[in-house]
Amino acid sequence: MSSNTVAVELIKVSKRYGYLQALKSVSLNISKGEFVAFSGHNGAGKTTLLKIIATHISPSSGTVKIFGDDAFKSGSEIRRRIGLVTHVSFLYDELTVRENLLFYARLFSVEGEGFLDIIEALGMKRWYNVPVKQLSHGLRKRADIARALIHDPDLILLDEPFTGLDTNTCDVLVEYLKTQKGKVILISSHSIEWPKKFCDKTILLERGEIVNEMPF
Amino acid sequence: MKEDKRQKDIGPSTIPQFWQAALRIAEKDLRAEFRRSYEVLSILSFAVGSILICSFAWSSGGGIAEPEVTAATLWIILFFASILTFTTSFTREADRGTLGGLKTLPCSPVAILIGKIVYGIVLLFLVECVLIPFSIIFLNLDLGGGLPLLLLVCFLGATGLSFAGSFVSGLLMFSEGKTLLLSFLLIPICMPVLIPSVLATEKILRGSGIAELIPELQLLIAFLLLIAAIMILTFKFVLEE
Repeated sequence: MSSNTVAVELIKVSKRYGYLQALKSVSLNISKGEFVAFSGHNGAGKTTLLKIIATHISPSSGTVKIFGDDAFKSGSEIRRRIGLVTHVSFLYDELTVRENLLFYARLFSVEGEGFLDIIEALGMKRWYNVPVKQLSHGLRKRADIARALIHDPDLILLDEPFTGLDTNTCDVLVEYLKTQKGKVILISSHSIEWPKKFCDKTILLERGEIVNEMPF
Repeated sequence: MKEDKRQKDIGPSTIPQFWQAALRIAEKDLRAEFRRSYEVLSILSFAVGSILICSFAWSSGGGIAEPEVTAATLWIILFFASILTFTTSFTREADRGTLGGLKTLPCSPVAILIGKIVYGIVLLFLVECVLIPFSIIFLNLDLGGGLPLLLLVCFLGATGLSFAGSFVSGLLMFSEGKTLLLSFLLIPICMPVLIPSVLATEKILRGSGIAELIPELQLLIAFLLLIAAIMILTFKFVLEE
């Protein structure tokens, strides 16, 4: 695989939390344009892996390269190209959806409200001026996904995005993600029911190790 | 995707971008703080209540306390107001998970800390703006022409408290019993701010001019420079879980 087609490269990445070995020497290459699902049981290391790729936590050992650059040496430049959604919302309850998105948009140098297309695609237009604390879990998740995508990231990381969502919201999300051709989407999910609708392959993690990799 | 509307700047962060990021974080915090106004009001009611209690206590002696007592009272109130402010500064971000959002931002961790410091300075200066008129009315504070000097000392003192408070709040955000730890740690760390602030305030209440305040102002500025250097060198490690 040529280095300019590799979007994410992990070389012998390990992560230890005290006595707990969350990741054990994980190596993988993900190409540009690939949609990949990480599956596995609770505690398999999916969230830790995504957090390391997002530069949220540094690995105990190993190298992480994002679009060819060392992720932890060029942190802020790399973060401009990453959109991360975790199972915890990054939105502020007291602010409206619009205020939250404008806050993040300004910090990512997005001019004006150039993200309204995402709001419409995710069906959030009606709740655009509503404080986040008044939103249901599903609507909050949609708003959080919009937050992660406002700067048009090249690498989209989604940690358990379908958990707790109704079928309709999952459908909206899948349809939206299908439109992100050319980007890289990494998704963690303990179930492959939804990821298989738009992902190219699944990587199975068990006790911090990659045990299987197969196309859908 | 409307690419033309989105400016993609993947170059290195510049100094204006650093300050823009810090000010936007401060603005976001202030906006959120005033939306849940009960917290600001509880800090203000604590400050006003303390002044009223001192006023009642001192009324038997003619209602006028010695300048050193008044100066100490003002800074004790401000110090406890700062504990109330910084207990929630980084802790709320960590508890609600929004700290993760700040970590996704393409800015230096120090810009996040500076944003929190600016937010703390604004809140503490607001408390001072309420504290000073109430002190003039209820503690018979006679400032003469010393109000601009008092405002300068209050601003520098609030800045020092905000530097120390925000940094300690960041250090403790993942700890157990962080509220208790913050109160204990802030007392020794804030001493280099509190001692010159109290002494300068006392001198102002005695009618001294700016020339006599130079040693205290130098101490305050030296503390700010020292803690700023420590923050710049260490804060990126503080944000790591």
